Amino acid sequence: MTPRRRPEGRLVRSYVVTDGRAHPTRNTLDLVTLLIAATDLPLTGLNPEKRRVMELCRPGALSLAEVAGHLQLPVSVTKVLVADLMDSGHIVTRAPIPAARPSDARILQEVLDGLRARL
Amino acid sequence: MTDQIPQAVTWALASALFVTAVLLLRQQGITRRQRRKNAGLADEVRAREEELRHLVLVRLPALADHPGQDLPGVGPLDTRLAGTEFGKGLDEVLTRFSGAVAHAQARADQSAKAALKASMRSIQALANEQQVSISEMQDRHDDPDVLRDLLEVDHTNAQFGRRAQAIAVLCGSWPGRQRSTSPLLEVVRGATSRIRDYRRIRINGQVDIAVESRAVEPVVLAVAELLDNAARHSQPNTTVEVTVQSVHNGACVVIDDAGVGMDGQAVDRATRLLAGRGEVDVTRLADPPQFGFAVIGVLARRYGFSVSVDTRSPYGGVRAVAFLPTALLTQLEPAAPEPAIDLTPVPDTTEPSPRPAVTEGTAEGTTDGGLPKRRRRTPRRTAAPEPEPAGTAEVSGRTPEENARIMGAFARGTRFGRAAGRILDEDEYVNADAAEADASTDTAPSAPHENEGTPHA
Repeated sequence: MTPRRRPEGRLVRSYVVTDGRAHPTRNTLDLVTLLIAATDLPLTGLNPEKRRVMELCRPGALSLAEVAGHLQLPVSVTKVLVADLMDSGHIVTRAPIPAARPSDARILQEVLDGLRARL
Repeated sequence: MTDQIPQAVTWALASALFVTAVLLLRQQGITRRQRRKNAGLADEVRAREEELRHLVLVRLPALADHPGQDLPGVGPLDTRLAGTEFGKGLDEVLTRFSGAVAHAQARADQSAKAALKASMRSIQALANEQQVSISEMQDRHDDPDVLRDLLEVDHTNAQFGRRAQAIAVLCGSWPGRQRSTSPLLEVVRGATSRIRDYRRIRINGQVDIAVESRAVEPVVLAVAELLDNAARHSQPNTTVEVTVQSVHNGACVVIDDAGVGMDGQAVDRATRLLAGRGEVDVTRLADPPQFGFAVIGVLARRYGFSVSVDTRSPYGGVRAVAFLPTALLTQLEPAAPEPAIDLTPVPDTTEPSPRPAVTEGTAEGTTDGGLPKRRRRTPRRTAAPEPEPAGTAEVSGRTPEENARIMGAFARGTRFGRAAGRILDEDEYVNADAAEADASTDTAPSAPHENEGTPHA
Protein backbone atom coordinates (compact mmCIF):
# COMPACT_ATOMS: atom_id res chain seq x y z
CA MET A 1 0.00 0.00 0.00
CA THR A 2 1.24 3.44 -0.81
CA PRO A 3 2.01 5.56 2.23
CA ARG A 4 -0.76 7.96 3.04
CA ARG A 5 -0.05 11.51 2.00
CA ARG A 6 0.09 13.96 4.83
CA PRO A 7 -3.04 16.01 4.61
CA GLU A 8 -2.77 19.69 3.90
CA GLY A 9 -4.22 21.32 6.97
CA ARG A 10 -7.70 22.61 6.45
CA LEU A 11 -7.87 26.35 5.95
CA VAL A 12 -11.15 26.67 7.84
CA ARG A 13 -10.82 24.89 11.15
CA SER A 14 -13.55 22.75 12.66
CA TYR A 15 -14.45 25.18 15.46
CA VAL A 16 -15.32 27.84 12.90
CA VAL A 17 -17.47 25.34 11.01
CA THR A 18 -19.49 24.47 14.12
CA ASP A 19 -19.17 27.92 15.71
CA GLY A 20 -17.31 26.38 18.62
CA ARG A 21 -19.86 23.72 19.45
CA ALA A 22 -18.90 20.08 19.85
CA HIS A 23 -22.17 18.57 21.01
CA PRO A 24 -24.79 17.82 18.39
CA THR A 25 -28.28 18.85 19.42
CA ARG A 26 -29.44 15.25 19.16
CA ASN A 27 -27.69 11.96 19.70
CA THR A 28 -29.66 9.84 17.26
CA LEU A 29 -27.07 10.04 14.53
CA ASP A 30 -24.54 7.41 13.71
CA LEU A 31 -22.25 6.60 10.81
CA VAL A 32 -24.86 4.81 8.71
CA THR A 33 -27.79 7.13 9.27
CA LEU A 34 -29.17 8.05 5.87
CA LEU A 35 -29.66 11.75 5.25
CA ILE A 36 -32.34 13.00 2.91
CA ALA A 37 -32.53 16.66 2.02
CA ALA A 38 -35.78 18.57 2.03
CA THR A 39 -36.12 20.08 -1.40
CA ASP A 40 -38.46 22.94 -0.65
CA LEU A 41 -36.49 24.90 1.95
CA PRO A 42 -34.27 27.82 0.93
CA LEU A 43 -30.56 27.61 1.69
CA THR A 44 -30.15 31.21 2.79
CA GLY A 45 -28.51 31.68 6.13
CA LEU A 46 -26.64 28.40 6.02
CA ASN A 47 -22.90 28.41 6.28
CA PRO A 48 -20.93 26.97 3.34
CA GLU A 49 -20.51 23.53 4.93
CA LYS A 50 -24.23 23.16 5.62
CA ARG A 51 -24.96 24.31 2.11
CA ARG A 52 -22.60 21.64 0.85
CA VAL A 53 -24.35 18.98 2.94
CA MET A 54 -27.62 20.01 1.30
CA GLU A 55 -26.06 19.89 -2.16
CA LEU A 56 -24.69 16.43 -1.45
CA CYS A 57 -27.97 15.07 -0.16
CA ARG A 58 -30.30 16.66 -2.71
CA PRO A 59 -29.73 14.12 -5.51
CA GLY A 60 -30.43 11.16 -3.23
CA ALA A 61 -29.88 9.83 0.22
CA LEU A 62 -26.34 9.64 1.55
CA SER A 63 -25.05 8.17 4.76
CA LEU A 64 -23.56 10.44 7.36
CA ALA A 65 -20.16 8.81 6.96
CA GLU A 66 -20.18 9.55 3.24
CA VAL A 67 -21.18 13.16 3.81
CA ALA A 68 -18.31 13.52 6.27
CA GLY A 69 -15.98 12.03 3.70
CA HIS A 70 -17.12 14.42 0.97
CA LEU A 71 -16.81 17.41 3.27
CA GLN A 72 -13.43 16.19 4.52
CA LEU A 73 -14.59 16.89 8.05
CA PRO A 74 -14.41 14.65 11.10
CA VAL A 75 -17.56 12.60 11.64
CA SER A 76 -18.18 14.21 15.02
CA VAL A 77 -18.12 17.67 13.45
CA THR A 78 -20.43 16.52 10.66
CA LYS A 79 -22.87 15.28 13.28
CA VAL A 80 -23.10 18.77 14.78
CA LEU A 81 -23.85 20.22 11.35
CA VAL A 82 -26.41 17.58 10.44
CA ALA A 83 -28.15 17.90 13.81
CA ASP A 84 -28.51 21.63 13.15
CA LEU A 85 -29.91 20.95 9.70
CA MET A 86 -32.38 18.50 11.21
CA ASP A 87 -33.46 21.15 13.71
CA SER A 88 -34.10 23.62 10.93
CA GLY A 89 -35.95 20.98 8.93
CA HIS A 90 -33.48 20.88 6.07
CA ILE A 91 -32.59 17.23 6.55
CA VAL A 92 -34.63 14.23 7.49
CA THR A 93 -32.99 10.98 8.47
CA ARG A 94 -33.91 7.42 7.82
CA ALA A 95 -32.75 4.30 9.53
CA PRO A 96 -30.18 2.44 7.46
CA ILE A 97 -31.39 -0.03 4.89
CA PRO A 98 -31.51 -3.45 6.61
CA ALA A 99 -29.05 -6.05 5.53
CA ALA A 100 -30.07 -8.26 2.61
CA ARG A 101 -32.48 -11.11 3.41
CA PRO A 102 -30.58 -14.29 4.12
CA SER A 103 -30.72 -16.76 1.27
CA ASP A 104 -33.28 -19.46 1.07
CA ALA A 105 -32.49 -22.36 3.39
CA ARG A 106 -33.33 -24.79 0.63
CA ILE A 107 -30.66 -23.42 -1.66
CA LEU A 108 -28.15 -23.57 1.11
CA GLN A 109 -29.11 -27.16 1.80
CA GLU A 110 -28.70 -27.98 -1.84
CA VAL A 111 -25.26 -26.38 -1.99
CA LEU A 112 -24.32 -28.29 1.13
CA ASP A 113 -25.51 -31.54 -0.40
CA GLY A 114 -23.66 -30.84 -3.59
CA LEU A 115 -20.45 -30.11 -1.71
CA ARG A 116 -20.80 -33.21 0.42
CA ALA A 117 -21.39 -35.36 -2.64
CA ARG A 118 -18.35 -33.90 -4.33
CA LEU A 119 -15.91 -34.25 -1.49
CA MET B 1 78.17 125.35 35.79
CA THR B 2 76.64 124.36 39.08
CA ASP B 3 73.40 125.99 37.99
CA GLN B 4 73.30 123.81 34.96
CA ILE B 5 73.38 120.55 36.86
CA PRO B 6 69.99 120.84 38.64
CA GLN B 7 68.49 122.12 35.45
CA ALA B 8 69.74 119.11 33.60
CA VAL B 9 68.45 116.85 36.31
CA THR B 10 65.08 118.50 36.13
CA TRP B 11 64.97 118.09 32.40
CA ALA B 12 66.01 114.54 32.67
CA LEU B 13 63.41 113.85 35.26
CA ALA B 14 60.80 115.63 33.26
CA SER B 15 61.59 113.71 30.15
CA ALA B 16 61.72 110.47 32.15
CA LEU B 17 58.36 111.23 33.58
CA PHE B 18 57.03 112.01 30.19
CA VAL B 19 58.38 108.83 28.77
CA THR B 20 56.99 106.90 31.67
CA ALA B 21 53.62 108.53 31.24
CA VAL B 22 53.63 107.76 27.57
CA LEU B 23 54.66 104.20 28.27
CA LEU B 24 52.03 103.88 30.95
CA LEU B 25 49.37 105.15 28.65
CA ARG B 26 50.44 102.77 25.96
CA GLN B 27 50.60 99.95 28.42
CA GLN B 28 47.15 100.75 29.57
CA GLY B 29 45.85 100.58 26.03
CA ILE B 30 47.61 97.34 25.45
CA THR B 31 46.21 95.90 28.66
CA ARG B 32 42.70 97.02 27.78
CA ARG B 33 42.97 95.46 24.37
CA GLN B 34 44.43 92.34 25.92
CA ARG B 35 41.60 92.14 28.41
CA ARG B 36 39.05 92.54 25.70
CA LYS B 37 40.73 89.87 23.71
CA ASN B 38 40.92 87.60 26.70
CA ALA B 39 37.26 88.10 27.38
CA GLY B 40 36.45 87.26 23.75
CA LEU B 41 38.58 84.17 23.92
CA ALA B 42 36.99 83.11 27.17
CA ASP B 43 33.60 83.61 25.59
CA GLU B 44 34.62 81.52 22.68
CA VAL B 45 35.95 78.79 24.92
CA ARG B 46 32.72 78.88 26.91
CA ALA B 47 30.71 78.71 23.70
CA ARG B 48 32.74 75.75 22.56
CA GLU B 49 32.26 74.06 25.88
CA GLU B 50 28.55 74.74 25.66
CA GLU B 51 28.53 73.43 22.13
CA LEU B 52 30.37 70.32 23.20
CA ARG B 53 28.00 69.77 26.08
CA HIS B 54 25.08 70.29 23.71
CA LEU B 55 26.58 67.74 21.36
CA VAL B 56 26.96 65.16 24.08
CA LEU B 57 23.69 65.76 25.88
CA VAL B 58 21.31 66.58 23.04
CA ARG B 59 22.55 66.00 19.54
CA LEU B 60 24.11 62.57 19.96
CA PRO B 61 21.20 61.05 21.89
CA ALA B 62 18.79 62.50 19.34
CA LEU B 63 20.81 60.93 16.60
CA ALA B 64 20.98 57.65 18.46
CA ASP B 65 17.21 57.63 18.85
CA HIS B 66 16.43 58.50 15.27
CA PRO B 67 19.28 57.39 13.08
CA GLY B 68 19.40 58.82 9.61
CA GLN B 69 16.99 61.63 10.31
CA ASP B 70 17.61 65.36 10.60
CA LEU B 71 15.62 66.57 13.52
CA PRO B 72 14.80 70.27 13.97
CA GLY B 73 16.18 71.79 17.17
CA VAL B 74 19.22 69.61 17.47
CA GLY B 75 21.57 71.59 15.25
CA PRO B 76 24.56 73.53 16.67
CA LEU B 77 23.72 76.07 19.40
CA ASP B 78 25.94 78.86 18.06
CA THR B 79 25.70 79.37 14.36
CA ARG B 80 28.99 81.37 14.38
CA LEU B 81 30.85 78.14 14.99
CA ALA B 82 29.36 76.44 11.97
CA GLY B 83 32.07 77.43 9.53
CA THR B 84 35.05 77.04 11.85
CA GLU B 85 37.41 74.14 12.14
CA PHE B 86 35.83 73.38 15.47
CA GLY B 87 32.34 73.25 13.95
CA LYS B 88 33.55 71.03 11.14
CA GLY B 89 35.18 68.79 13.71
CA LEU B 90 31.93 68.49 15.60
CA ASP B 91 30.05 67.63 12.43
CA GLU B 92 32.66 65.03 11.65
CA VAL B 93 32.15 63.52 15.10
CA LEU B 94 28.42 63.44 14.48
CA THR B 95 28.79 61.78 11.08
CA ARG B 96 31.11 59.15 12.46
CA PHE B 97 28.85 58.57 15.40
CA SER B 98 25.75 58.20 13.28
CA GLY B 99 27.62 55.85 10.98
CA ALA B 100 28.66 53.73 13.91
CA VAL B 101 25.16 53.78 15.36
CA ALA B 102 23.60 52.79 12.05
CA HIS B 103 26.11 50.03 11.58
CA ALA B 104 25.60 48.65 15.07
CA GLN B 105 21.87 48.89 14.69
CA ALA B 106 21.89 47.14 11.36
CA ARG B 107 23.99 44.39 12.80
CA ALA B 108 21.83 44.04 15.89
CA ASP B 109 18.70 44.04 13.75
CA GLN B 110 20.14 41.50 11.39
CA SER B 111 21.23 39.13 14.11
CA ALA B 112 17.97 39.57 15.99
CA LYS B 113 16.04 38.84 12.83
CA ALA B 114 18.18 35.83 12.00
CA ALA B 115 17.79 34.42 15.50
CA LEU B 116 14.05 35.08 15.57
CA LYS B 117 13.58 33.68 12.09
CA ALA B 118 15.37 30.46 12.90
CA SER B 119 13.52 29.93 16.15
CA MET B 120 10.17 30.88 14.64
CA ARG B 121 10.70 28.43 11.81
CA SER B 122 11.03 25.55 14.23
CA ILE B 123 8.08 26.80 16.29
CA GLN B 124 6.02 27.08 13.12
CA ALA B 125 6.94 23.55 12.12
CA LEU B 126 5.91 22.31 15.54
CA ALA B 127 2.61 24.18 15.38
CA ASN B 128 1.88 22.67 11.97
CA GLU B 129 2.78 19.22 13.19
CA GLN B 130 0.53 19.66 16.18
CA GLN B 131 -2.27 20.82 13.92
CA VAL B 132 -1.97 17.65 11.86
CA SER B 133 -2.08 15.53 15.02
CA ILE B 134 -5.12 17.41 16.28
CA SER B 135 -6.87 16.91 12.96
CA GLU B 136 -6.11 13.21 13.08
CA MET B 137 -7.42 13.01 16.61
CA GLN B 138 -10.61 14.75 15.55
CA ASP B 139 -11.01 12.15 12.85
CA ARG B 140 -10.32 9.30 15.23
CA HIS B 141 -12.54 10.17 18.18
CA ASP B 142 -16.27 10.33 17.86
CA ASP B 143 -17.07 11.64 21.30
CA PRO B 144 -18.49 15.16 21.70
CA ASP B 145 -16.60 15.71 24.96
CA VAL B 146 -13.30 14.77 23.37
CA LEU B 147 -14.16 16.88 20.35
CA ARG B 148 -14.85 19.91 22.52
CA ASP B 149 -11.43 19.67 24.12
CA LEU B 150 -9.79 19.08 20.76
CA LEU B 151 -11.50 22.13 19.30
CA GLU B 152 -10.13 24.24 22.11
CA VAL B 153 -6.64 22.89 21.66
CA ASP B 154 -6.92 23.39 17.92
CA HIS B 155 -8.04 26.98 18.38
CA THR B 156 -5.16 27.82 20.68
CA ASN B 157 -2.73 26.11 18.37
CA ALA B 158 -3.99 28.09 15.39
CA GLN B 159 -3.43 31.39 17.20
CA PHE B 160 -0.05 30.24 18.34
CA GLY B 161 0.91 29.30 14.81
CA ARG B 162 -0.24 32.66 13.49
CA ARG B 163 1.90 34.51 16.01
CA ALA B 164 4.97 32.53 15.05
CA GLN B 165 4.17 33.03 11.38
CA ALA B 166 3.74 36.78 11.78
CA ILE B 167 7.07 37.19 13.52
CA ALA B 168 8.76 35.02 10.92
CA VAL B 169 7.31 37.16 8.13
CA LEU B 170 8.48 40.30 9.88
CA CYS B 171 11.97 38.84 9.96
CA GLY B 172 11.94 38.35 6.22
CA SER B 173 10.74 34.77 6.07
CA TRP B 174 8.02 33.47 3.77
CA PRO B 175 4.57 32.81 5.18
CA GLY B 176 5.54 29.20 5.02
CA ARG B 177 2.61 27.13 3.81
CA GLN B 178 1.64 26.26 0.31
CA ARG B 179 -2.07 26.05 -0.20
CA SER B 180 -4.21 25.30 -3.17
CA THR B 181 -6.30 27.98 -4.83
CA SER B 182 -9.17 28.72 -2.46
CA PRO B 183 -12.40 30.68 -2.66
CA LEU B 184 -12.10 34.17 -1.19
CA LEU B 185 -14.81 33.39 1.32
CA GLU B 186 -12.84 30.38 2.54
CA VAL B 187 -9.75 32.56 2.81
CA VAL B 188 -11.59 35.02 5.04
CA ARG B 189 -12.99 32.17 7.12
CA GLY B 190 -9.50 30.74 7.32
CA ALA B 191 -8.35 34.06 8.73
CA THR B 192 -11.23 33.91 11.19
CA SER B 193 -9.98 30.52 12.33
CA ARG B 194 -6.78 32.06 13.60
CA ILE B 195 -7.98 34.73 15.97
CA ARG B 196 -9.20 34.53 19.53
CA ASP B 197 -12.70 35.96 19.12
CA TYR B 198 -13.69 34.07 16.00
CA ARG B 199 -17.32 33.84 17.13
CA ARG B 200 -17.78 37.60 16.90
CA ILE B 201 -16.94 37.72 13.20
CA ARG B 202 -19.88 37.94 10.81
CA ILE B 203 -19.07 37.41 7.17
CA ASN B 204 -21.41 38.82 4.57
CA GLY B 205 -21.35 38.79 0.81
CA GLN B 206 -21.24 36.13 -1.85
CA VAL B 207 -18.50 36.19 -4.42
CA ASP B 208 -17.41 33.49 -6.78
CA ILE B 209 -13.80 34.60 -6.75
CA ALA B 210 -10.87 32.50 -5.65
CA VAL B 211 -7.45 33.56 -4.44
CA GLU B 212 -4.42 32.26 -6.33
CA SER B 213 -2.55 29.54 -4.54
CA ARG B 214 0.59 31.60 -3.90
CA ALA B 215 -1.39 34.44 -2.29
CA VAL B 216 -3.69 32.37 -0.10
CA GLU B 217 -1.51 32.15 2.98
CA PRO B 218 -0.34 35.81 2.90
CA VAL B 219 -3.89 37.09 2.49
CA VAL B 220 -5.09 34.82 5.27
CA LEU B 221 -2.37 36.13 7.53
CA ALA B 222 -3.01 39.80 6.69
CA VAL B 223 -6.79 39.51 7.08
CA ALA B 224 -6.28 37.61 10.33
CA GLU B 225 -4.19 40.48 11.71
CA LEU B 226 -6.87 42.99 10.70
CA LEU B 227 -9.63 40.87 12.25
CA ASP B 228 -7.60 40.41 15.41
CA ASN B 229 -7.09 44.18 15.70
CA ALA B 230 -10.77 44.78 15.09
CA ALA B 231 -11.89 42.22 17.65
CA ARG B 232 -9.28 43.22 20.20
CA HIS B 233 -10.13 46.92 20.11
CA SER B 234 -13.87 46.62 20.40
CA GLN B 235 -16.26 45.58 23.13
CA PRO B 236 -16.65 41.83 23.58
CA ASN B 237 -20.39 42.06 23.02
CA THR B 238 -20.12 43.72 19.62
CA THR B 239 -19.66 41.95 16.33
CA VAL B 240 -17.06 42.57 13.69
CA GLU B 241 -18.72 42.82 10.29
CA VAL B 242 -16.78 41.55 7.31
CA THR B 243 -18.02 42.23 3.82
CA VAL B 244 -16.51 40.51 0.85
CA GLN B 245 -17.22 42.11 -2.49
CA SER B 246 -15.81 42.06 -5.94
CA VAL B 247 -14.82 45.41 -7.44
CA HIS B 248 -13.71 46.47 -10.89
CA ASN B 249 -10.00 45.76 -10.47
CA GLY B 250 -10.16 42.93 -8.02
CA ALA B 251 -11.89 42.23 -4.75
CA CYS B 252 -12.23 43.90 -1.39
CA VAL B 253 -12.47 42.60 2.12
CA VAL B 254 -14.02 45.32 4.28
CA ILE B 255 -13.76 44.91 8.03
CA ASP B 256 -15.86 47.17 10.26
CA ASP B 257 -15.55 47.19 14.01
CA ALA B 258 -17.54 49.05 16.61
CA GLY B 259 -14.52 49.81 18.70
CA VAL B 260 -12.67 52.84 19.99
CA GLY B 261 -11.24 53.94 16.66
CA MET B 262 -7.81 55.45 16.10
CA ASP B 263 -6.61 59.04 16.55
CA GLY B 264 -4.79 60.94 13.82
CA GLN B 265 -1.35 59.99 15.07
CA ALA B 266 -2.21 56.30 15.20
CA VAL B 267 -3.66 56.48 11.70
CA ASP B 268 -0.47 58.13 10.43
CA ARG B 269 1.68 55.49 12.04
CA ALA B 270 -0.56 52.73 10.69
CA THR B 271 -0.53 54.19 7.19
CA ARG B 272 3.23 54.40 7.26
CA LEU B 273 3.57 50.78 8.40
CA LEU B 274 0.90 49.49 6.02
CA ALA B 275 2.68 51.03 3.05
CA GLY B 276 5.50 48.62 3.84
CA ARG B 277 8.20 51.09 2.83
CA GLY B 278 11.41 51.03 4.78
CA GLU B 279 12.81 48.27 6.87
CA VAL B 280 10.88 47.20 9.92
CA ASP B 281 13.07 47.32 12.97
CA VAL B 282 12.23 44.30 15.06
CA THR B 283 14.17 45.64 18.01
CA ARG B 284 12.05 48.76 18.12
CA LEU B 285 8.50 47.45 18.26
CA ALA B 286 6.67 48.68 21.30
CA ASP B 287 6.36 46.63 24.44
CA PRO B 288 4.18 44.57 24.22
CA PRO B 289 5.19 44.35 20.57
CA GLN B 290 2.64 45.67 18.11
CA PHE B 291 3.58 44.13 14.86
CA GLY B 292 0.20 43.63 13.22
CA PHE B 293 0.39 46.56 10.84
CA ALA B 294 4.07 45.98 10.19
CA VAL B 295 3.38 42.38 9.17
CA ILE B 296 0.53 43.42 6.90
CA GLY B 297 2.78 46.07 5.36
CA VAL B 298 5.51 43.55 4.61
CA LEU B 299 3.03 41.09 3.09
CA ALA B 300 1.16 43.74 1.12
CA ARG B 301 4.35 45.03 -0.42
CA ARG B 302 5.68 41.58 -1.19
CA TYR B 303 2.49 40.22 -2.77
CA GLY B 304 1.06 43.38 -4.25
CA PHE B 305 -2.19 43.92 -2.39
CA SER B 306 -3.03 46.97 -0.32
CA VAL B 307 -4.64 47.65 3.03
CA SER B 308 -5.96 50.91 4.39
CA VAL B 309 -7.36 51.76 7.80
CA ASP B 310 -7.91 55.49 7.46
CA THR B 311 -11.69 55.43 7.17
CA ARG B 312 -14.12 55.43 10.03
CA SER B 313 -16.56 52.59 10.24
CA PRO B 314 -20.28 53.33 10.33
CA TYR B 315 -20.26 51.64 13.73
CA GLY B 316 -17.87 54.25 15.10
CA GLY B 317 -14.71 52.18 15.02
CA VAL B 318 -12.21 51.58 12.27
CA ARG B 319 -12.99 50.40 8.77
CA ALA B 320 -10.12 48.38 7.37
CA VAL B 321 -10.18 47.64 3.67
CA ALA B 322 -7.96 45.04 2.08
CA PHE B 323 -7.89 45.36 -1.67
CA LEU B 324 -6.73 42.36 -3.70
CA PRO B 325 -5.86 43.15 -7.31
CA THR B 326 -6.96 40.92 -10.16
CA ALA B 327 -3.44 39.48 -10.43
CA LEU B 328 -3.95 37.61 -7.16
CA LEU B 329 -7.40 36.36 -8.03
CA THR B 330 -8.91 33.80 -10.28
CA GLN B 331 -12.42 32.90 -11.21
CA LEU B 332 -13.96 30.17 -9.13
CA GLU B 333 -14.91 27.22 -11.25
CA PRO B 334 -18.48 26.32 -10.44
CA ALA B 335 -18.78 22.73 -9.27
CA ALA B 336 -20.85 20.72 -11.72
CA PRO B 337 -24.16 20.20 -9.98
CA GLU B 338 -25.27 16.61 -9.70
CA PRO B 339 -28.41 15.99 -11.69
CA ALA B 340 -31.42 16.19 -9.47
CA ILE B 341 -33.48 13.08 -9.26
CA ASP B 342 -37.21 13.11 -9.34
CA LEU B 343 -38.21 11.60 -6.06
CA THR B 344 -41.89 11.28 -6.87
CA PRO B 345 -43.02 7.67 -7.03
CA VAL B 346 -43.26 6.31 -10.52
CA PRO B 347 -46.50 4.71 -11.73
CA ASP B 348 -45.93 1.01 -12.04
CA THR B 349 -46.12 0.64 -15.81
CA THR B 350 -43.40 -1.87 -16.32
CA GLU B 351 -43.36 -5.29 -14.82
CA PRO B 352 -41.73 -5.22 -11.43
CA SER B 353 -38.13 -6.16 -11.70
CA PRO B 354 -37.30 -8.75 -9.09
CA ARG B 355 -33.90 -7.29 -8.46
CA PRO B 356 -33.59 -3.73 -7.18
CA ALA B 357 -32.33 -1.84 -10.17
CA VAL B 358 -29.36 0.21 -9.15
CA THR B 359 -27.07 2.17 -11.35
CA GLU B 360 -23.65 0.89 -10.76
CA GLY B 361 -21.38 3.86 -10.89
CA THR B 362 -18.25 3.39 -12.81
CA ALA B 363 -15.10 4.00 -10.84
CA GLU B 364 -14.48 7.67 -11.12
CA GLY B 365 -11.01 8.74 -10.12
CA THR B 366 -9.10 7.38 -7.23
CA THR B 367 -8.52 8.47 -3.67
CA ASP B 368 -5.24 9.75 -2.35
CA GLY B 369 -4.45 6.25 -1.25
CA GLY B 370 -4.91 4.92 -4.78
CA LEU B 371 -8.19 3.14 -4.10
CA PRO B 372 -11.09 3.58 -6.52
CA LYS B 373 -13.67 6.09 -5.38
CA ARG B 374 -17.10 4.81 -4.66
CA ARG B 375 -19.90 6.60 -6.40
CA ARG B 376 -23.30 7.22 -5.07
CA ARG B 377 -25.76 4.43 -5.71
CA THR B 378 -28.97 6.03 -6.73
CA PRO B 379 -32.22 4.15 -6.84
CA ARG B 380 -33.46 4.35 -10.40
CA ARG B 381 -36.80 6.00 -10.34
CA THR B 382 -37.05 7.36 -13.82
CA ALA B 383 -40.29 6.56 -15.49
CA ALA B 384 -39.10 4.50 -18.41
CA PRO B 385 -36.12 2.26 -17.78
CA GLU B 386 -33.88 2.06 -20.80
CA PRO B 387 -34.33 -1.26 -22.65
CA GLU B 388 -31.62 -3.65 -21.71
CA PRO B 389 -29.94 -6.01 -24.16
CA ALA B 390 -31.68 -9.34 -24.49
CA GLY B 391 -28.95 -11.40 -22.87
CA THR B 392 -28.62 -9.29 -19.75
CA ALA B 393 -32.36 -9.00 -19.45
CA GLU B 394 -32.56 -12.75 -19.25
CA VAL B 395 -29.86 -12.88 -16.65
CA SER B 396 -31.39 -10.20 -14.53
CA GLY B 397 -34.81 -11.77 -14.84
CA ARG B 398 -33.87 -15.02 -13.10
CA THR B 399 -35.48 -16.00 -9.92
CA PRO B 400 -33.40 -17.56 -7.16
CA GLU B 401 -34.96 -20.91 -8.03
CA GLU B 402 -33.84 -20.66 -11.63
CA ASN B 403 -30.37 -19.68 -10.51
CA ALA B 404 -30.23 -22.67 -8.24
CA ARG B 405 -31.40 -24.97 -11.02
CA ILE B 406 -28.76 -23.71 -13.40
CA MET B 407 -26.05 -24.00 -10.79
CA GLY B 408 -27.26 -27.48 -9.88
CA ALA B 409 -27.17 -28.58 -13.50
CA PHE B 410 -23.67 -27.19 -13.85
CA ALA B 411 -22.54 -29.02 -10.73
CA ARG B 412 -24.14 -32.25 -11.93
CA GLY B 413 -22.49 -31.93 -15.31
CA THR B 414 -19.02 -31.46 -13.87
CA ARG B 415 -19.52 -34.24 -11.39
CA PHE B 416 -20.70 -36.55 -14.09
CA GLY B 417 -17.76 -35.70 -16.26
CA ARG B 418 -15.35 -36.37 -13.44
CA ALA B 419 -17.03 -39.59 -12.52
CA ALA B 420 -16.79 -40.74 -16.14
CA GLY B 421 -13.12 -39.88 -16.17
CA ARG B 422 -12.61 -41.82 -13.01
CA ILE B 423 -14.32 -44.84 -14.52
CA LEU B 424 -12.05 -44.65 -17.53
CA ASP B 425 -9.02 -44.48 -15.36
CA GLU B 426 -10.22 -47.35 -13.35
CA ASP B 427 -10.81 -49.37 -16.53
CA GLU B 428 -7.14 -49.05 -17.20
CA TYR B 429 -6.49 -50.23 -13.70
CA VAL B 430 -8.74 -53.19 -14.40
CA ASN B 431 -6.27 -54.32 -17.01
CA ALA B 432 -3.48 -54.01 -14.52
CA ASP B 433 -5.14 -55.24 -11.41
CA ALA B 434 -8.49 -57.04 -11.68
CA ALA B 435 -9.14 -57.27 -7.95
CA GLU B 436 -8.86 -53.56 -7.39
CA ALA B 437 -10.92 -52.83 -10.48
CA ASP B 438 -13.78 -54.83 -9.06
CA ALA B 439 -13.82 -52.85 -5.89
CA SER B 440 -13.70 -49.55 -7.81
CA THR B 441 -16.44 -50.37 -10.27
CA ASP B 442 -18.65 -51.20 -7.33
CA THR B 443 -18.42 -47.68 -5.99
CA ALA B 444 -17.92 -45.60 -9.13
CA PRO B 445 -21.25 -46.12 -10.93
CA SER B 446 -23.11 -45.11 -7.83
CA ALA B 447 -22.22 -41.51 -8.48
CA PRO B 448 -24.20 -41.06 -11.73
CA HIS B 449 -27.09 -42.74 -10.05
CA GLU B 450 -27.02 -40.25 -7.29
CA ASN B 451 -26.89 -37.52 -9.88
CA GLU B 452 -29.89 -38.79 -11.68
CA GLY B 453 -31.66 -38.94 -8.42
CA THR B 454 -31.00 -35.33 -7.50
CA PRO B 455 -34.27 -33.58 -7.80
CA HIS B 456 -34.66 -30.35 -9.61
CA ALA B 457 -34.34 -27.67 -7.12
